Amino acid sequence: MNTQDEKIRFDAIVVGAGLAGSTAAMMMARAGLNVALIERGQKAGGKNYFGGAIYTHAIGEVLPDFMDRKPPFERPVTEAGFWMLSKDGGLTKMTVQGGKLGAEPADAYMASRAVFDVWWAEQAQREGALLIPKTSVVDFIRDSAGQVIGVSTDRAQGDVYAPVVIICEGVNNLLTQKLGLIDHDLEPAHVALAFKQVIALPMDTINARFGLPDEKHGLAASVLGDVSLGLPGMGFVYTNNTSVSVGLGMMLDAVVEYRLKPYEVLQRYLRHPAIAPLIKGGQLMEYGAHLIPEGGYRDMPKLYTGGAMVAGDAASMVNALHWEGTNMAIVAGKLAAETAIEAHKQGDFSAQALSQYEARLKDRFILKDMKQYRNFARFLETHPEFMDAYPGFINDALGQFFSAYGMPKKTLFKNILGSLTSRRQLFKAVGDMLSMGRAVMGW
Amino acid sequence: MFHALVAIKQVPDTTNIRIDPETGNLVREGVPAIMNPYDAHALASAVEWKRKLGGKVTVVSMGPASFTVTIREAVELGADAGYLISDRKFAGADTLATSYVLAAVIQSIHEKDPIDVVFFGKQAIDGDTAQVGPGVAVRLDLPIITYAVKIRDINLAKRHIVVERKTERWTEVVEAPLPALVTCEKEIAEVPFAPLPDLIRSLRYEPEVLTMESTGIFDAEHVGVRGSPTVVFKMGTPPLPEAGEKINSREIGVEAAVATAFAKADAAGILSSVLGGVK
Amino acid sequence: MSARRFWVFIEQEEGKVHPVSWELLGIASRLASEVKEEAHAAGDTVHVECILLGNQVEGIAREAIKYGAERVYLVDEPELENYRNCPYYKCIVGVVRKYEPEVFLIGATTLGRDLAGAVATSLRTGLTADCTGLEMGEVKGSKQRLLLATRPAFGGNIMATILCRQNRPQMSSVRPRVFPMPPYNPEAVGEIVREEVPLDEKDTEARILEFIHDQAESVDIEYADVIVSGGRGLGTPEGFKLIEELAHELGGVVGASRPCVDAGWISYAHQVGQSGRTVRPKLYIAAGISGALQHKVGMQNSDFIIAINSDPNAPIFDVADVGIVGDLFEVIPAMIKNIKARKEALA
Repeated sequence: MNTQDEKIRFDAIVVGAGLAGSTAAMMMARAGLNVALIERGQKAGGKNYFGGAIYTHAIGEVLPDFMDRKPPFERPVTEAGFWMLSKDGGLTKMTVQGGKLGAEPADAYMASRAVFDVWWAEQAQREGALLIPKTSVVDFIRDSAGQVIGVSTDRAQGDVYAPVVIICEGVNNLLTQKLGLIDHDLEPAHVALAFKQVIALPMDTINARFGLPDEKHGLAASVLGDVSLGLPGMGFVYTNNTSVSVGLGMMLDAVVEYRLKPYEVLQRYLRHPAIAPLIKGGQLMEYGAHLIPEGGYRDMPKLYTGGAMVAGDAASMVNALHWEGTNMAIVAGKLAAETAIEAHKQGDFSAQALSQYEARLKDRFILKDMKQYRNFARFLETHPEFMDAYPGFINDALGQFFSAYGMPKKTLFKNILGSLTSRRQLFKAVGDMLSMGRAVMGW
Repeated sequence: MFHALVAIKQVPDTTNIRIDPETGNLVREGVPAIMNPYDAHALASAVEWKRKLGGKVTVVSMGPASFTVTIREAVELGADAGYLISDRKFAGADTLATSYVLAAVIQSIHEKDPIDVVFFGKQAIDGDTAQVGPGVAVRLDLPIITYAVKIRDINLAKRHIVVERKTERWTEVVEAPLPALVTCEKEIAEVPFAPLPDLIRSLRYEPEVLTMESTGIFDAEHVGVRGSPTVVFKMGTPPLPEAGEKINSREIGVEAAVATAFAKADAAGILSSVLGGVK
Repeated sequence: MSARRFWVFIEQEEGKVHPVSWELLGIASRLASEVKEEAHAAGDTVHVECILLGNQVEGIAREAIKYGAERVYLVDEPELENYRNCPYYKCIVGVVRKYEPEVFLIGATTLGRDLAGAVATSLRTGLTADCTGLEMGEVKGSKQRLLLATRPAFGGNIMATILCRQNRPQMSSVRPRVFPMPPYNPEAVGEIVREEVPLDEKDTEARILEFIHDQAESVDIEYADVIVSGGRGLGTPEGFKLIEELAHELGGVVGASRPCVDAGWISYAHQVGQSGRTVRPKLYIAAGISGALQHKVGMQNSDFIIAINSDPNAPIFDVADVGIVGDLFEVIPAMIKNIKARKEALA
């Protein structure tokens, strides 16, 4: 046992056991490093509410035998695409099934992040990483030259030393700011608030309602149109084994500006004549909300400094309204780990040595994956027949989609930004909304 | 040297249990397991006294292998050693069979390493029976002090403990000879936020697992279902009462809404009876 | 031919009886009546009896008869002046062994719960805690009807009915106010049987050094006629001022839901619900309480319930006799005004 004057030392520290963090810990532990994976929640990924599709290409890259380790996947995505809700209650489906979507293992599976993240962290623990839960990292320990040599936590005798620290703290990027890698909070206009319900239904009912032959088939649809009161936002519907995840994401600034109560917006969406019958009679299992950085690489901080790197949501490596953060987080965690492993080999943890991380990322993400795996773009790229069949309609859809998320929103929300200058306000607003949800739900 | 034994239970976090608003059913999925909160406070008190008097704290728990995390949590909070009583044959135990097993284990620990105080939480938040602590005290013939809110003194030389216990009417200050059994309210001690080295030690801690066979101290007649005189006859959801009328004050105005509601209470003879007594 | 005895523990402190004891006598009478027919057929007799411990408490024994006890077993000793677990449970166990009651009910008060677990363990019998429903029911494989004890589990979300097939007595602890008071018959006659149970020195080793009476005014919400309860909808602890004002106008007391107590807005003594007190006032007003099951099980036996909530779908409306959908900060002042006007009219 450590005594007071005996320092707690590891070869590497990872802050945050979400997907990026557990991936980094897994890779480093596998390479023989003694890794501390520090998580502020009770469990890995404690703050992650979001469910959705997990892409197997990223999982397989880190853990080639993942299918043998019984991942807590729900149904594979065998049908994907867009649903359009019209104001008069109509529904137009633009989805694709079969083809590449029938492969085994599938390209993507539905999963609940609350469950999946725990399993993923277990894989890191299996490789020998030590998961330290219920502990918040509050600051960094630096040497006289300013190089990061460890972290301090909120516990007594809580300093932990390691020559390299990988920050995967999530959307609330306080540590990244403390490192001086980014000088501002994420802007409300660049943060999406996503909220969802998970509704339990019998397997057969799900199959019948969604036109799926059996539980080996699943639908992942992004829902456009009459979803979010005409404000920028997008809904989704995912079929799990015995539940359906339904929800929507909206830009935080719009939620704050119009004083929307997410629960009510969600209820309205769930009462749409095309959605209501799908979830009728189901039992509510979960209600959650989560912030997702949506700025993409425009908002990315500097990704490294002497002794430390940043990955995952903290680095804004997400494209939230396209539900695309998970694979980027995993790949980023892996690249940060590879950089750390290399640094250990060289005995050099300087900013110069860790700059390798950014180089690797640029090579992977910005040039390739960011483009290739962007849901919408990818969908259109891989299914050109779709555009031929419904040219007018898809153009309308695209118009709506990009006018919502592209250029015009900057001017639309310019005024709002002025009123939301401090983080306190931002997170307080979210807190109020969440407690509203709890009050309504009687939790 | 002080030796405290704390009995702990893992429970579903019932404060987090969610109810389906439509069906009124319990949502069990994703309900986290926690150390029974009263047990955590009892443990915190035991650890405080260990630090004052010098000595050690042993915890015992009974349940499946998944209860290991709760024993680890106890180590994180300052316990020195933990035993997990785990055997399929113990499953289905009611409070009588549970107190039998716990008493036998506590007795066997006591024989090797004499115990001064046995701590329990006042009750578990899942069962709310408050029966196991008193049951163990009776079986071990220990003086019992329930609903303890403060331990004033533990005197190892004079062999006594002085405890404040809170009842509905007053607070009693009770002195009992050692060894004694105390069941604790939350006020007994604050649950500490453990230092990091304790947490790290707990993460790697493996409790000793006690089974029927490994201990040889149990009579099969008294454990599990066989040792339990009570059985669940049936389970059901509570009947849904018939909802009364709803009045929307936004539609008819606040004063009219209140007047309508009170008129209904009048019709039921309630308000006049209530106001009749008010001066 | 045998005697089937239905027993109740009479809880008293400083000569004051906890009213739950009388409620238990009411239940025991009903349970006894449920087996009368079958007992008659078998040639058995059925008796409603109680056990009372204390120092110079014969007056209470006579009261018990008026609440329905045919016979009171009285252990009257200076050593039993104040309740202590060990001498009390040993005395009770001694008398129970002598008469072998079939059913034994104890109030689920702090004293009763302290006692019941010790008595049941010592007798090696089953005990069902905190029952909200009791009946003598037919059970397959049993010649006689058995005590079917129903209690809430998981915060009131599930009702479990428990029985104790072989061991005797069949014991239950029962929450105050779940069952009504039985009729009081000043003419009733019954027998007082004095019992003596030898105690050894060790049984009385634990001593009460002093009693500390709380300075703060104690609230007795269990037996209040009017309760005005506030919930999270109050928004802040200050919200209880409004609740207090209405309670005062109605001559009632203030209740609260668990979240308010957990948040430290008001003391635990005010908490209504599964983890607080069960109440059955004439009038219960719930303001800003969403109506979690654990709250509802504690107040649904009230004679008349008025619920105020801004959410029309709040589950509290399911148990209310009348619900007002609206802002409690508007509704309650209107109620206060209305009551004041009524009182003026009465005067």
